[in-house]
Amino acid sequence: MNQHLFAQLIATITGVLLLTAILQIWGRSLVRSIGLLSVQGAALAALVLTVGLNAGEPQVWLVTGIVLLMKSVVLPAAMLRSAKLIGETRERPTTINPAVELIGAAGLTLIAYIVGVPLAGPDPDPARQALPVGFSLVLLGFWLLMIRRSAITQLVGFLVLDNGIATVSFLASGGLPLTVELGSSLDVLLVVLILGVLVVRMQRQQGHTDITELKELHD
Amino acid sequence: MNLVDAGLYGVLVGGAVAVAAAVVLRGRARNVIAGLSVMAVGAFAAATGLAALAGMVGTGLVIPVSLPLVGGLDPLVLAPDRLGGFFLLLAGLVIATSALFGIGYAHGAAASRTGWTGFAVFAVGVALVPTAADALSFLLAWELMAIGSTVLLLADHAERQAVRAATMWYAVMTHLSFLLLVAGFGVLIAAAGGTSWSRMVTIAEPVASVAFVLLIAGFATKAGLVPMHVWLPRAHPEAPSHASAAMSAAMVKMGLYGILLVTLRLLPTGPSWWAVVLVALGAISALYGILQASVQSDLKRLLAYSTTENVGLITTAIGIGLLLHQSGQQAAAEVAFIAALLLALSHAVFKTTLFLGAGAVLHATGERDLDQLGGLAARMPVTALTFGVGALGAAALPVTSGFVAEWVLLQALIHTDAKADRLLAVVMPLTMGVVALTIGLGLLTFVKAAGIGFLARPRSEAAARATEVGFTMRAALVAAAGLTIGLGLIPGPLAQLLAGAVGATGIATSGLTGIQLGGLGTVILDPLVLTGLTAAMLAGIVIVNGIAARRHPRREVDLPWGCGGERTSPRMEYNATSYSEPLARVFGASLNTRRSVEIEHPEDAPLLVSGMVFNQETVDLVEDRVYVPAARLAQRLGDLARTVQNGSIHRYIGFSFAALLLVLVLVTR
Amino acid sequence: MIAAIVVTLVHLAFALAITPVLIGVMRTVRARLEGRVGGGVLQPWRDVIKLFAKEPLRAPGSSAVLIWAPLLLMASSLVLCALIPLVSTLSLPGAPGELFVVVSVLLLGTVALAMLGLESGTAFGGMGSSRHMMFTALVEPTVLLSIYALSLPAGTSTLTAIVRARRDDLSTLLNPVSILAIVALIVVVVAETGRLPVDNPSTHLELTMVHEAMILESGGRDLGWLEFGSWLRLTALLGLTVNLAVPWAIASDASATALLIGAAAAALKLVVAAALMAAVEVFIAKLRLFRVPELLAGSFVLAFLSVSASYLVF
Repeated sequence: MNQHLFAQLIATITGVLLLTAILQIWGRSLVRSIGLLSVQGAALAALVLTVGLNAGEPQVWLVTGIVLLMKSVVLPAAMLRSAKLIGETRERPTTINPAVELIGAAGLTLIAYIVGVPLAGPDPDPARQALPVGFSLVLLGFWLLMIRRSAITQLVGFLVLDNGIATVSFLASGGLPLTVELGSSLDVLLVVLILGVLVVRMQRQQGHTDITELKELHD
Repeated sequence: MNLVDAGLYGVLVGGAVAVAAAVVLRGRARNVIAGLSVMAVGAFAAATGLAALAGMVGTGLVIPVSLPLVGGLDPLVLAPDRLGGFFLLLAGLVIATSALFGIGYAHGAAASRTGWTGFAVFAVGVALVPTAADALSFLLAWELMAIGSTVLLLADHAERQAVRAATMWYAVMTHLSFLLLVAGFGVLIAAAGGTSWSRMVTIAEPVASVAFVLLIAGFATKAGLVPMHVWLPRAHPEAPSHASAAMSAAMVKMGLYGILLVTLRLLPTGPSWWAVVLVALGAISALYGILQASVQSDLKRLLAYSTTENVGLITTAIGIGLLLHQSGQQAAAEVAFIAALLLALSHAVFKTTLFLGAGAVLHATGERDLDQLGGLAARMPVTALTFGVGALGAAALPVTSGFVAEWVLLQALIHTDAKADRLLAVVMPLTMGVVALTIGLGLLTFVKAAGIGFLARPRSEAAARATEVGFTMRAALVAAAGLTIGLGLIPGPLAQLLAGAVGATGIATSGLTGIQLGGLGTVILDPLVLTGLTAAMLAGIVIVNGIAARRHPRREVDLPWGCGGERTSPRMEYNATSYSEPLARVFGASLNTRRSVEIEHPEDAPLLVSGMVFNQETVDLVEDRVYVPAARLAQRLGDLARTVQNGSIHRYIGFSFAALLLVLVLVTR
Repeated sequence: MIAAIVVTLVHLAFALAITPVLIGVMRTVRARLEGRVGGGVLQPWRDVIKLFAKEPLRAPGSSAVLIWAPLLLMASSLVLCALIPLVSTLSLPGAPGELFVVVSVLLLGTVALAMLGLESGTAFGGMGSSRHMMFTALVEPTVLLSIYALSLPAGTSTLTAIVRARRDDLSTLLNPVSILAIVALIVVVVAETGRLPVDNPSTHLELTMVHEAMILESGGRDLGWLEFGSWLRLTALLGLTVNLAVPWAIASDASATALLIGAAAAALKLVVAAALMAAVEVFIAKLRLFRVPELLAGSFVLAFLSVSASYLVF
């Protein structure tokens, strides 16, 4: 693949990844958040395709297909189903000022950039150069986990985190660690399905899914 | 003896004449003669400053001093260098304008013997600070400035309680500043072995860092940077307006001169954390100052907070300059330093305009509460127009000096190459964001100040009865506003002069009067061309408008206010408090706003409402969280000290005696 | 010099001609999507002509602001159109469309409008003015930062040069710096021109008004200038954004063919962007006043990340 085109594609795709993560922190609607997750998954699949084609991996189309199916279709659909079942469409209002959440996100991204640049090493190739964006995705996922209250958005945060880790691994390895990705994808799928069921049960038992109110242990 | 020396003598003689006139004459004659003499002080200072800025070097005034037992004393020297010359020019312009205003404005305590004496001493002090070429004369002039301003501030103490409280804050803070400076210069003198600036150029770490911290803290207190800004919003409103103008526009600049003196001349090779400290101090001050200013409804208090904002911006510019200098980007660094100087001069002229305008409003209405003003544009057209120009300057809009200065600052930020430097890559965007937010909030603040104060209908009887102020006051206002516009229209020559003051190359005049920042590629700003373009557009619009107006002339009707509603009263207008209410909500946490609504009911009907009282006050967060606890701590320590100090004279004599014995033992050891 | 003046005149003529059409297109798209017929694409022209044939009123005790503010707003909008690279990237010598200059000219118009709102002496005027200035204050950082980000690859803060550099090097169009900055700029355009979800331009509910509240007391040709001036701002800002996002076919000299192609392309881009904007507006509601700062904070974060990405990553 043409190196210039490769650099361009990597830049565009990581840009979309970062943008969707920021938009998830920005917005309050659950449905839109899940939609963005789907876009993020598609971007991740595109990243896989780009990196794989560049490295000339034979099983690139397979991995791309799996990632696309998992991250962009199955997981969002499962989450959407849970959200529909419990009838929640908006995030619960938090005590933190939304502007503070956003500025916190900016600060985290800045930190990711600062620590990510030396990790990419001197004179990096385009993929490694974009490594800080992957780190920022990881931190933003954590940030979502911290600031959101609804169990569904917790899941969203978790998946952003997972996407971040996947991005970092794809960008850093330069190829496709197929088995690793396959294993972690299945793990995540399992987690999401179980949590999806749990969330619905939570809603049935307590009438809400606010995790800040889950403080006591019961039998 | 050349122009520089002659000007310095002129400053001293003018000051002496002014003091004499203040003491000997009375009534109107005192105002006129003392005012004119202080004006002369200002004029001499400005002329000297301009000469020094242009590179003229005099022999200076040299006073040899010697003290028994103290070695290493260099003679006292008053000889401004180019940087000092710039600040002398700035101070001279401000003093001359505010003295002119004072001739017509001073009344009551400000026109008293004490008032004018204080003003004259203050003026001489401000003018001498930037001429000092050694630490001792610097500190002497500094103290002269502090004493003069304190006396001036205290002049009205018998009439108003607030004056006493304000003076107390001011005196304490100014003293704190002096002590820090004495300590800082003490460290430098000890390390350099002499008091002259020229000896203090090779100070090594860690002495340099200790001196830097002490001196910057001292100068920041005078300059009114957060968290040492608390005296500004108290002292400026209570001082007579011409004094507030001189204090805010000239005196706080001496703090900035001090910062530049330390960072450019005395300790030019500091580590990069110095620059980061300055940028942080400046950025926080700028943002905090303008946020507080935006919610104030007392006009002079608003202006005082805006001073903190501007001083913050200037400090930021200095810090950015140092940072760029250290990373080797000389061209951008020089532009940042020039921006700092332009911002300082621009703030001096527009803040003079604004404070004098506020003084004119106070003179005409007796009010400085914006919530009571309004409708003054039709009653005081000259004041309204000049205040408007000042407000444009403060909001950094074209074609004023403020716009040019902030343009230069933003050029320095934009033309930074931060690729190689992670510190710069973090600092630059943050600074850009802070500067931009400051500009935005400044816009709101000054639209509010000018719009609520001067437009629509008067909100009180006093405002409705206002008439235009007298000739000298108008002359001073027009002069200050003229300078604001002039520096905005023709910035090129000045920028070129300033380039000399900070040793910059590559700054040139573009076209007739524009600025060209040669070191950054070809970055040019030509306000005259822009003005011409705007004027051409406006001319076309006015012609079209005139044609339409000839066919359908404007009609004056009795009740167009409020869509012609008959019952709208001026009390329904938005006032200053309501104007900034949305902002106060958005920034609620950092503003410490307290609101209360009290509802009164008629006695027999608890469900009906007979009256409502809404109260909103913004308590300075820093004052609340830093100074009040500090004062409480001091109180507690004082209580502890009581066990030692019980009021017995004999015990005090015993303490002194013990101290004397101790000193004797130590000295003869 | 001559070429630059020709380009400036072309910009002015282009902006004056297309602006009412643009507004007409937006209204028509909106009306059709809502199932109404609408007034047609030329209705804004008819409105303005009608307004200029009406007499304005003047309150006793009102100041010169009443007369001059509408003219100043119009003048600032025209200068804006002259400085922004709408059709060609050739700029006047001595007055290049420099970022901060352009923003200041925009702000001058904003201030004129806000002053007019205060001059009206009613609760509504003050309310609109206060809200408008709050939005302006909070938008300001985003404006400067997002264009700052776009200026970094070009190495200059002159808008004409930035657009030219982006047109010549298309690879800068789709990197993260550019994507984030353009998204932030779109929010800026929405906020500065008072479109949904920040402000509803067609509202008649006083308590939710922002822009409309400020001009509530104006009538006749005053209102005509105010309306036209505000529309021109939309053209200028939208034009800048589309030319930054898709800088294709913009002219770089003053030759007749290049200018014709540039004008046609700019008209097409503007109409498409405006129609899109109007179509999106049908589906969203106005934000509560105190939710708008969140929107603006978000756009600020995007712009900030764009700058830091450009320094640290790409």
